[in-house]
Amino acid sequence: MKAQDIMSYSFSAIKLRKLRSGLTTLGVIIGIAAIVALLSITQGLQNTITVQLQTGLATDTLIVSVGGGFGGGFGPGGADSGFKLLVNDTQTIDQIENVETSIAIIQRVGHVESGAGERLATIVGVDFAKYASIYSSTFVAESGGIPLNPANEKVVVGKRVSDPWRNGTILFKVDDNVEIIWTNATARPPRNETYTGSVAAVLKEVGGFGIGGPSDSSVYIPISQAQSFFRTDECSLIIVKLKDSEKATIDSVSEAITDAFSNEVSVISSTAVLNILSSVFSIIQLFLAGIAAISLLVAGIGIMNIMIVSLMERTREIGILKALGMKGRTVLLVFLCESVIIGLIGAVIGIASGWGLANVVAVVFRGGGGLGFGNQTSQAGAFGSMTITPVLTPMVFLGALVFGVGVSVVFALYPAWRASKLKPVEALRYE
Amino acid sequence: MTNGATSVVETINLKKTYMLGKVPVDALRGVNLRVESGDFLAILGPSGSGKSTLLNLIGALDKPTQGKMLIEGVDVSTLGDNQLTDLRRRVGFVFQFFNLIPRFTARENVELSMAIAGLSKTDRRRRAEDLLETVGLKERMNHKPTELSGGEQQRVAIARALANNPKFLLMDEPTGNIDSKTANEIMGLIKRLNEEKNVTIIMVTHDQRLAGLSKRVLQMFDGLIVQETVN
Repeated sequence: MKAQDIMSYSFSAIKLRKLRSGLTTLGVIIGIAAIVALLSITQGLQNTITVQLQTGLATDTLIVSVGGGFGGGFGPGGADSGFKLLVNDTQTIDQIENVETSIAIIQRVGHVESGAGERLATIVGVDFAKYASIYSSTFVAESGGIPLNPANEKVVVGKRVSDPWRNGTILFKVDDNVEIIWTNATARPPRNETYTGSVAAVLKEVGGFGIGGPSDSSVYIPISQAQSFFRTDECSLIIVKLKDSEKATIDSVSEAITDAFSNEVSVISSTAVLNILSSVFSIIQLFLAGIAAISLLVAGIGIMNIMIVSLMERTREIGILKALGMKGRTVLLVFLCESVIIGLIGAVIGIASGWGLANVVAVVFRGGGGLGFGNQTSQAGAFGSMTITPVLTPMVFLGALVFGVGVSVVFALYPAWRASKLKPVEALRYE
Repeated sequence: MTNGATSVVETINLKKTYMLGKVPVDALRGVNLRVESGDFLAILGPSGSGKSTLLNLIGALDKPTQGKMLIEGVDVSTLGDNQLTDLRRRVGFVFQFFNLIPRFTARENVELSMAIAGLSKTDRRRRAEDLLETVGLKERMNHKPTELSGGEQQRVAIARALANNPKFLLMDEPTGNIDSKTANEIMGLIKRLNEEKNVTIIMVTHDQRLAGLSKRVLQMFDGLIVQETVN
């Protein structure tokens, strides 16, 4: 029997049971759509984060924080060890070969208040001039000017601190007074400390986040002020600017810094962060794809179920086909072909709807103002606004197609094999 | 009757035992039969006498337990599954319950057996139309089996059986499931096929009148041919 005839025969069998075939296909569609949507969103998210990290975290900088953990680099506090990284430790680091400069950063989470309202923000104490030189593309004023030799009360605010809701309600603009409130939890009893300053500059939107780098939800005060306000000489991180971004330089300086502080600090380079991030994303993708694959597995079992029912119903038909001289192998192909058609239609529609779903999700995220991290009530700092553009790689596309058809065929193998083994006499006698 | 040439069908001491649950049933207990080209055989006998079993064996739908089954001199027991299916394509089977594929039209049903044999679409289409004309159904060829009467369905089945130029037609109670008036038409058609087109026919029937049209009548009882009459 010709391939074309086998196909049209299979197709006529599918068409006969429209509802049932449709539901079976729906199973495949949902499975494939879930896989495609999840993978293309995570891929898009990874791309977004990678790009933002690359801009937010210059490749020629290192971040030094206390402890041996990656987590210490993100927030205040760091790992719980007796060792403290002090503001003037930058002097030690500056002496290391290939280090251009280094600056200490003190950061705490607190509130900022104006007459118009209040919001959560990361309070960052930093040397404005050096910070601006390291992050020359992101620590840039949109309005006002960053004071290089700031008077004590001058502060610089991030775009989302100034304009948190993007609806025209401006909390802070240049020359406004700002009240920065920080809860001193180490005092007994804990009390709120207030720092009053005036806005010298509003940063232009950074979009996203960088470890140590400028963020849209931060408020910047001079480092000396931070020391007295937070009553500490301990810094959260030290940012080290290197003379170049060669891997050898990064490695040697990292090692020298770790040695200088007797292994009590961890040094993170943007390359390392990106590597960690990409491996984390691979795991997330695998995990999500695994979850989605379960639904496809369920679809596969559905296909098998339908095929077995269909086999029973068509026992007599198979008997007729065999009596007319159809080979067992051809009967097998007829059944497999039905599952290929279902799998193919399911995969194609599934990929299309998964892609559509990913884009809808991306639009919803965009409309919701970042990942929700940038909102007033959520933790300030980490994420600003994020634009996720879902990415459908050819690998995912082909993979989904092959997987969809593959699952359908694998689960149809057994019913098809059983059909092909039916004895014509018995099949014809079947009622 | 025998003219030295190989017979279309020859069985030598053909036996078939099958299991009915756990009980072995001797359906055929040694059948010797020769069918020559152009023959018209009617096999009569009570139910359970082995008529249908014999027909299934001749049609290569089943394998004998013992004895020899020669189709044009070739021992069927030496054939593999694929050769058996090839053989089935050269046998026209007509069943009591028509066994048409319900979702296909009359023409498509006739075409199906040719599609299985690998004929091209244009060839089989033309031949299907010719065959349906032969059985007098050209006008109804685009109807599905449910839209056809029993007699019409059986004529479609006959056309389908003839599609691949079979060596012989095997008919299992071809008029068993249709009314007597239509049965007459079918009988006429079968007779005509044998006389005019020289189609070899082996037919199982209960119908004495139909048996009367045949050239040879075999009487079966309890798995054996007990009597042969030549009309």
